[in-house]
Amino acid sequence: MRVRRVAWLATVLAGCVDQTTAPGVCPTFCPSGQIDVVDTVLAASIARDSTFRGYVLPHQAGAMTASDVPGVVDSRAILRTSALVSGLALNTGDTTTSPLVGADSMKLTLTITRRDTTAHNLTVRLYRLPITIDSTTTFADLRGAFADPTDSLRAVNVDALLAKPGGVDSATGDQAAIDTTSKFLKVTVKLDSLQAPYVSGDSGKLGIGVRIGADAPTSVGFCTRENACGASLAWFVKVDSIKGTDTTLIHKQLAAVTLFDSYVFDPPIPPVDSTLAVGGAPSARSIMRITLPRAIRDSSQIIRGTLLLVPAVPARGAPVDSFVVEAHTVASDFGAKSPLVLDATRTDTTMIRVGKTDTVRVEVTNLLQFWVADSTRPEVLMLRSQEEAARPTEIRFYPSAAAPYRPALRITYARRFPFGVP
Amino acid sequence: MTARRVDPKGLPCGRGWTGRVLLGAAVLLSAGTPVRLSAQDSQFGVRGLGTPGRFETARARSTGGAFGPFDALSPLTEASLGDLQQLAATAMGGTSYRQADVAGGTASLRATRFPVMGLAGPVFGRLVLSGGFTTYLDRTWDVTRRDSLLLRGTMRPYVDELSSDGGVTDLRFAAALRVSARFALGAAVHVLSGSTRETAGRTFDDTTYHAIRQNDETRYDGLGISGSLLVDPLPALRLSLFARSDNRLRARLGDVVTAETNLPNTFGAGLRWAPSPSVRLAGTVGRRTWADAGAGAFNTVSWSAGLEVDAGFAPFRVGARGGQLPFGAGPTAPTEVGFAAGTGRAFARGRALVDVGLEHLRRTGAGLSERVWTFLLGFSVRP
Repeated sequence: MRVRRVAWLATVLAGCVDQTTAPGVCPTFCPSGQIDVVDTVLAASIARDSTFRGYVLPHQAGAMTASDVPGVVDSRAILRTSALVSGLALNTGDTTTSPLVGADSMKLTLTITRRDTTAHNLTVRLYRLPITIDSTTTFADLRGAFADPTDSLRAVNVDALLAKPGGVDSATGDQAAIDTTSKFLKVTVKLDSLQAPYVSGDSGKLGIGVRIGADAPTSVGFCTRENACGASLAWFVKVDSIKGTDTTLIHKQLAAVTLFDSYVFDPPIPPVDSTLAVGGAPSARSIMRITLPRAIRDSSQIIRGTLLLVPAVPARGAPVDSFVVEAHTVASDFGAKSPLVLDATRTDTTMIRVGKTDTVRVEVTNLLQFWVADSTRPEVLMLRSQEEAARPTEIRFYPSAAAPYRPALRITYARRFPFGVP
Repeated sequence: MTARRVDPKGLPCGRGWTGRVLLGAAVLLSAGTPVRLSAQDSQFGVRGLGTPGRFETARARSTGGAFGPFDALSPLTEASLGDLQQLAATAMGGTSYRQADVAGGTASLRATRFPVMGLAGPVFGRLVLSGGFTTYLDRTWDVTRRDSLLLRGTMRPYVDELSSDGGVTDLRFAAALRVSARFALGAAVHVLSGSTRETAGRTFDDTTYHAIRQNDETRYDGLGISGSLLVDPLPALRLSLFARSDNRLRARLGDVVTAETNLPNTFGAGLRWAPSPSVRLAGTVGRRTWADAGAGAFNTVSWSAGLEVDAGFAPFRVGARGGQLPFGAGPTAPTEVGFAAGTGRAFARGRALVDVGLEHLRRTGAGLSERVWTFLLGFSVRP
């Protein structure tokens, strides 16, 4: 009985659910109105465009680039480690500390976020740099410190290290491993007390430079402290126990981090000119003001929008230095200081290939739909590199002043459907 | 043994909890705003104004519509209200299963509608007033279409979906007067009102092109008047004549009038013969001047014939109908033929009536044919 009732109820409910969708044979058995789609290029809709540089400096970037592309770019990572404590309490409850008197060795771990796997025998060389390096240090300032490869503290062939069982070189104490989650490559280099001496006058601080090389021109990205995965150090230090006449040396391990990391490169980025630059270090952004025709903005639905940009010069660097350019809109138009709308659903991107001069197409459908949906938003578009200042590579486009190659907007939109007409 | 009161139609009257429940349900159905007050739609109505509704209760529709002019609760005519001797309310629902054969394909469609709701009762002596809703035009449909378009140098396949949900409702205020035992007349004012939620969507196979989705609500208004009379030339014979004129249907988007379409005039007549107290035969014919609505519209003539037999426990009804549909693609109007059958049952000592029916229709026109099965369910209460 209960089953019968449930079946009856199910039948009744099924009958109440409408099924009204039928294939249309148009125009005979379709409504008179049809969806009208238009595709057009708005050649003169972008104006008042300009470039500003200095948003993110190399030492503020989420990565630092070391590259070796002869004749194109030479880039080196630099870092300064934190100071060590001057003394250690050897036992629990000790009210006095025992001083550090030296170091046995030190292990430096670097995290490589990207590398060119087609360039074999990737070699990482470490150099001793002055601890005075800072954000104003240039490639030229350190030219001497990096002058001779034989002056390097250590050189590690990463590919050879990875090929060893477990990625460990038991002779040198070096180690390499790929993080299974992030896919980052962690390289640990062991330095002895001569290569990484404990200088009490410097409180144990070290300046270290990283240069790379391979069988072919290559480029590598190292993670930085700004990205919470900067270089880390493990010191193995000697501590004087100071117990009466007992001056036994006790060996302890101390952790340290980098307080400063950046990179220097040559040749330097040329100054901003009349072109629209995006990327580089310090990072450059280009701003564009767009005027959508009222007919499109007010009563149409945009289904695809493509920003067409013609490179004035190709992006320079290693092929692996290709980078992503993001197109954002801004909350308010304050020129260079316009705050970006950082919303993933309102951001459009494209990949910039190094060395290519093809027209760059950025799909900006999300942004155009955003402006159409909210007419109070400024129709301003800001182009920036996705990883600002993380690499020296930049692209330069022709501005709106260069009429034949000016930026243009290709829009595909649907006109308002003629509702209300039988 | 308790004697049971019997109403003039031979249905038992009474009052009990069943009756009260049915009464409450019917009153709620009558008093509430109709959620979906539509007739059974048709693909033929997609191109035109819509699918005209039927001004018939489940009882009249079970006879193919032949008893429509003589059924007091059917909103086809007003004069039949003159026979109503007490307050009555009615509501009707129907579920259609429709199969549309078009361009070599078949679509199975299903819809549930509540096309008739009304309340009527005598107020001053023999004057009866009535008010209620009826579907005037059903504009509920949803069509999909696959095609492609040349965009940026490449053919882009897409699927369009155009839909409309709603219709035009006829709000009727009617009055009828039985002048004498052999003559009754009635008149009504019809306020046409309604809306459709319309959507137009396009989805490209290439998702680089975002989907198009536009929608709007179209409101409709119009006005009509109607009149009818009933004449009994013989005790067993009743003649009904009716006419109606609707002015125009105005479609609005917001405050902007987007279309004005002329609406038809309607003329019709019906004849009922009761050879015995338990057997009634009826036939109706009507003409509507839909061609005034513009291109693709045709004047229509419809007919119906039916039989109602009071077979003791429950009446038996059967009928056939035929005619034309007002909107179609070809040079001539699509045609429609069908048959229906049904029965009814009284509860609560005749104060609540439930009518059920089954209707089958076949519509044929240029490039399209439809077969429709509709299950009809009607409630009437006389508190």
